[in-house]
Amino acid sequence: MLDLLKGFGNFLLKELKELIRDPKILLAMVIVPLIMFPILGAILNFSMQAAQETATKITVLIINRDGGENSTRFMEYLKASMKVFTVNVSKIEDAVPLLTEYNATEIIEIPETFSQCLAAEENVTIRVYSVFSGAGLFEGAGSSILDGLVEQFNRELAPNLVISAKSAIIKGQIVENVDSRMLGSLMLSQAITMPITIMILLSYSMQIAATSVAMEKEEKTLETLLTLPMDRFAILMGKLSGSIIVAAIGAVAYMAGFNYYMSSFMSTISIGANVDLVSLGLAPSLFGYLLLGLSLFVTLLSALALAVIISAFAEDVRGAQAIVGNIYPLIFIPSLLLMYLDVNALPIALRIFIYAIPFSHPIIAAKAVTMGDNLTAALGVVYVAAFTIIIMYVASRLFATEKILTAKLRFKGLRRRKRVTTEELQ
Amino acid sequence: MSFAVEAKEVVKVFGAIHALDGLTFNVKRGEIFGLIGPNGAGKTTALRIVSTLLLPTSGTVKVFNLDVVHDADEVRKIITYLPEEAGAYRNLSGWEYLQFMANFNTKNKSEVQEIVREAAEITGLGERLRDKTKTYSKGMKRRLLVARALMTKPKLTALDEPTSGLDVLHAYHVREIIKRYVKEHNVTVLLSSHNMLEVEHLCDRVALLNKGKIVAEGKPKELKEKYESANLEEVFAKVVGLA
Ligand SMILES: Nc1ncnc2c1ncn2[C@@H]1O[C@H](COP(=O)(O)OP(=O)(O)O)[C@@H](O)[C@H]1O
Ligand SMILES: [Mg+2]
Repeated sequence: MLDLLKGFGNFLLKELKELIRDPKILLAMVIVPLIMFPILGAILNFSMQAAQETATKITVLIINRDGGENSTRFMEYLKASMKVFTVNVSKIEDAVPLLTEYNATEIIEIPETFSQCLAAEENVTIRVYSVFSGAGLFEGAGSSILDGLVEQFNRELAPNLVISAKSAIIKGQIVENVDSRMLGSLMLSQAITMPITIMILLSYSMQIAATSVAMEKEEKTLETLLTLPMDRFAILMGKLSGSIIVAAIGAVAYMAGFNYYMSSFMSTISIGANVDLVSLGLAPSLFGYLLLGLSLFVTLLSALALAVIISAFAEDVRGAQAIVGNIYPLIFIPSLLLMYLDVNALPIALRIFIYAIPFSHPIIAAKAVTMGDNLTAALGVVYVAAFTIIIMYVASRLFATEKILTAKLRFKGLRRRKRVTTEELQ
Repeated sequence: MSFAVEAKEVVKVFGAIHALDGLTFNVKRGEIFGLIGPNGAGKTTALRIVSTLLLPTSGTVKVFNLDVVHDADEVRKIITYLPEEAGAYRNLSGWEYLQFMANFNTKNKSEVQEIVREAAEITGLGERLRDKTKTYSKGMKRRLLVARALMTKPKLTALDEPTSGLDVLHAYHVREIIKRYVKEHNVTVLLSSHNMLEVEHLCDRVALLNKGKIVAEGKPKELKEKYESANLEEVFAKVVGLA
């Protein structure tokens, strides 16, 4: 009856034994998820909290040109939900420098006619200026809260009496009639594209590099290469460039697809038809682009060299891929985190952790150069370059000696020693 | 005239394992020399040290008077090495593989073509050379790799178990390739094998290796006479005290 499955149980048992006894598999399949998912959960939790906090912690500066009863009532209404400071300036531009002083993100200007219009039940326009910082997905939370409050205030009086006219403050400059929330959704594509691309590019090319080194080991072609009259550093460089090229082709293809995907639904939203990010200064300068490219390049190089080093410790392709998989959390965590949050919004310990991971830097650099902060990007390049040099040095030492052939993971030694002691016991 | 290979008191330690334990042997120029011994005797380790892949823990190895540690770069110019159980690049054709390897030896295009043409002939694979190596049988792969080890006419080639795992026909072909090439081009061959019977007819001289040490050395015929044995397997058994 069970003829078809004869031997199946026996075989399955062997498979399970083999897999479970492989420490690399154990690490990749059990230990890493056990660590990674709690971390991811904590990140999501944290970003939700941060979003809530930004909502309750909104600070606005109010320029009250009216002074009548209704304007006081409006201000009291706002004060119930947000921090409000009244400032006295003649021109709105003069209020901009005060934003940092009060740690505020919005300026509201109440016109002289406010009380009068409300009393007469006529429409009145308040001007709202929101700071655009390019922080992440929760950009513009303040502006939405304000909208909600204005709507509620209206409901208590008569519908649509108070209208808010939105403007953005970008890099300290007022840009009239541009809603920073709209900018936010435009920037969103960038905020998501960069981390995802980097995630894929890095993990894909590391996988390629690891596989190609392991394949050489498995097929013993590496041994042949090492006895040829060729420079051993050239072998390393050949491996690295090969994987960079393949990964770059993959990345280009991926970007093209992703771009198509984004543009297909961007056009249906049809926001920002009249918003040009470049003229608003929300596109990187040429130097910024150069820095971003450099950042990407050194990061890629460090990732590949790391993959080569690690896979040198594996004996076959499967092993190499499993070991390299252990690095993925270091790529995924910063990517996911920085998709939602600005580095500077993180608690100090997490911020240091993110800065310490080389793979965060292209994402940080992408945001920084967009906002015109080339220094942050440049410092990141220097840090990753230093890291890359160390990794490359280790990798080249590995290839220059017999280590590339004899290096093995410690697990093996441990197991052998254990077996010896059990033999002694018997 | 100096030896092709001169190994003196070579010791190689991996952690607690003494893979080689004071190995000493000489290979004369132009001969086929066999390192014979059971699995784990240290044959592969010895060939890897001669081929500059591993560093001896102590002792010295000279290849045509060049030290394998200090003059490794020079040694690599005059040797080739065929690893045990080696494969070729799976997605290259046999032809492309030979071309890739020949390009390390000379920059001259017509010389490369000449080397590849000759190697192609040695392999005897004919049209199959155009196929990717992943479609080759084990025997075809070995013929390709042996041809590549010989095609550049190195002063020394180190072949690790060149015929192990091959069927009679392929093994025969590989042995014929080696014998013919040595005669025609004065290449010195250092090979290893755990098959003591087949090397009798292939090697000019052999060294029997056990637990990292040479236990007997000489021409197959002399060894058989000395130990009054019918073949080298018997010699080995007598020497290590199995019989
Ligand atoms: N890289 C290595 N690490 C640890 N032990 C090794 C390594 N290479 C070989 N050995 C050990 O050295 C001994 C000799 O191996 P080897 O030279 O491969 O023997 P042979 O080729 O004669 O079968 C064996 O016990 C083997 O386990
Ligand atoms: Mg061996």
